[in-house]
Amino acid sequence: MYGFITGLLLWLSFATLVIGLTVRTVVYIRGLDWQVDRVAYGTHMALGFREATRSIVHWLLPFWSVGWRAKPLFTIIFFVFHTGLLLTPVFLIGHAVLIKERFGINWPTIPMGLADVLTVLVMCSVLFIAVRRMALPEVRIVTTAYDYLLLLITAAPFVTGFLLVHQVADHRLWLYAHILSAELLLIAIPFTKLYHVVGFFLSRGQLGMDFGIKRGFKGDGFDW
Amino acid sequence: MPEGTLCNKNTVDTKEYLNALLSDKRGKKYYEEMKSIEVDKEKLKAALKATCKSRFHTWLDLCSHCAMCADSCFIYLSNKRDPRQVPSYKIQSTLGQIVKRNGDVDNEFMRHCMDVAWSQCTCCNRCGSFCPYGIDMGIMFSYLRGLCFAQGFVPWELKIGTGMHRIYGAQMDVTSEDWVETCQWMEEEQQEEWPGLEIPVDKQGADIMYTCNAREPKHYPDDIADAAILFHIAGENWTVPSQGWDQTCLSLFAGDWGSCKMQVQNVYGAIERLKPKRVIGTECGHAHRCMVVEGPYWVGRKDGRPPAPYLHYTEWVAEALRTGKIKIDPAKRIRQPVTFQHSCNYIRNYGLKEVTREVMSYLVEPGYYVEMTPNKEHNFCCGGGGGINGIGLYREQRNTNMKVKRDQIIATGAKLVIAPCHNCWDTIRDMEEIYRLGIKWSFLKPLLVKMVVVPDHLKPKEDQ
Repeated sequence: MYGFITGLLLWLSFATLVIGLTVRTVVYIRGLDWQVDRVAYGTHMALGFREATRSIVHWLLPFWSVGWRAKPLFTIIFFVFHTGLLLTPVFLIGHAVLIKERFGINWPTIPMGLADVLTVLVMCSVLFIAVRRMALPEVRIVTTAYDYLLLLITAAPFVTGFLLVHQVADHRLWLYAHILSAELLLIAIPFTKLYHVVGFFLSRGQLGMDFGIKRGFKGDGFDW
Repeated sequence: MPEGTLCNKNTVDTKEYLNALLSDKRGKKYYEEMKSIEVDKEKLKAALKATCKSRFHTWLDLCSHCAMCADSCFIYLSNKRDPRQVPSYKIQSTLGQIVKRNGDVDNEFMRHCMDVAWSQCTCCNRCGSFCPYGIDMGIMFSYLRGLCFAQGFVPWELKIGTGMHRIYGAQMDVTSEDWVETCQWMEEEQQEEWPGLEIPVDKQGADIMYTCNAREPKHYPDDIADAAILFHIAGENWTVPSQGWDQTCLSLFAGDWGSCKMQVQNVYGAIERLKPKRVIGTECGHAHRCMVVEGPYWVGRKDGRPPAPYLHYTEWVAEALRTGKIKIDPAKRIRQPVTFQHSCNYIRNYGLKEVTREVMSYLVEPGYYVEMTPNKEHNFCCGGGGGINGIGLYREQRNTNMKVKRDQIIATGAKLVIAPCHNCWDTIRDMEEIYRLGIKWSFLKPLLVKMVVVPDHLKPKEDQ
């Protein structure tokens, strides 16, 4: 069982993630239509890429965009959440050990204490986002059960991983739960709104191009 | 398939149909008929297949329901933060549903879509710049309007507007003859005060071809006279076309893309016929969007640009002031608190933020110009954009929607609002009527004509 979920199933999960995201990216780009979108992508490629990059960078960094500055608390939570989501699994010592064992690669790591802090922050952020969804009328009206499900899928590997690392009760149970929930997350990404791991770059970039090409010929540049 | 005689899926291509619509006071019969027209689901499905591509699908799918767009929407803010006015909610519950059900929607739902698309969004595109994913609900509402229009669900006044464009090539029943006569009339009227002033019609190869808003010949001919005076003072070699002179397009507001294309072809046709070095448009926001920002795409120009450089009036004014073609009499500069309405269509959507400020720096004595907050590309819509100004059915909503702009103006303490956009100008006029702020409002031209230094050689002989 352990061999299967850390072997074939893990490979399948990663393959689904990579192939799924590639397909979605290709489908998105192929579906862009200069005339329907009213953006001359082809004729102004260089300008388009420059403005796409500018738009993406402004939104990748906390408080760099007008939108982030308009909602400071949410922005802080948002960046803490995403930083934890990305850094913890990628640079966790436990994961680096597995990489070393299997591939012989010396993978960089972050200290365990930091990983713990980030994990707790991720869990707190999830809680905050869930409460925000219930508390604010403007968020409540657009929220669906699906949004909570996605939060659950995202949080599960962190909760189970945390319990696993801190040896709470049945080690085997949490180990299996952790691996399976992480695999579920990887598989869910291309098929759900979590597709935004690439979708953000595509969509934000596209609007940057739009403002740059169609709407910003004057070269002042849009103040994202 | 049940269709009304007035309200139906047909476009208005004959004077008979147009007159029948016009004689239906306030669209009473039209809206009554709308309640029973049938949705052509196959046609809707086919339209989605042809035009709802990856960008719209992604925008609808990707939305993480974070509501960061809520506060960006002036209609949400004006309506006491009613959650039903959150942009993502508005689009998900209308276009989102149509796409999800692949066109399987009924009459009642389409009427709801019409209400939301025309009274709860002015397509100002502000939300797109506040969404982390860059989801622009204004663009999607514009698209939804097109779907509604094709099914016959469009406000009465806008249906008429599309008919005007289709029949007269202008947003009002001003024929080419009427237009040329108005130009001649204005020319004659001004020649006493401005010897040598001309409004040249159909001159080949001029430096400037001037295009305007049909409201100008129809209701405000002085605006054409003012434009002529300023070109005269600046010594410009200019002309107006006899055909393709109306730069506006109510069909953009209506979602009648076929007639949008026709209107742009009229104006581009004039450019190709007269071959001016460049074109200057009047002080209108949506007209600029039609001919410069979106028009090239409607007629299939792959470079996304009009056939000749096409400037907004503010760009010409800035250039004329910068190069000294027109000079402002320092004694006549504005010496009262004054603010500037940054129009969505040529500032957010075309980037003329610095140009307009440059113009103000010449016109206003230092210390008297007060910016609205927020401003430039983040400015709020006046409240009357996107066609809502002209729709009787949504007058109450429009009056509520303008509260954010009202409060922005009050906060500046300005007594004069300069609004080089017909829709903004109208909204601020109506705002004064409704909310009594004690403000004046103006286009640039009448101010410039009063403030400009007249070179000696242009003064009437007896004055010299």
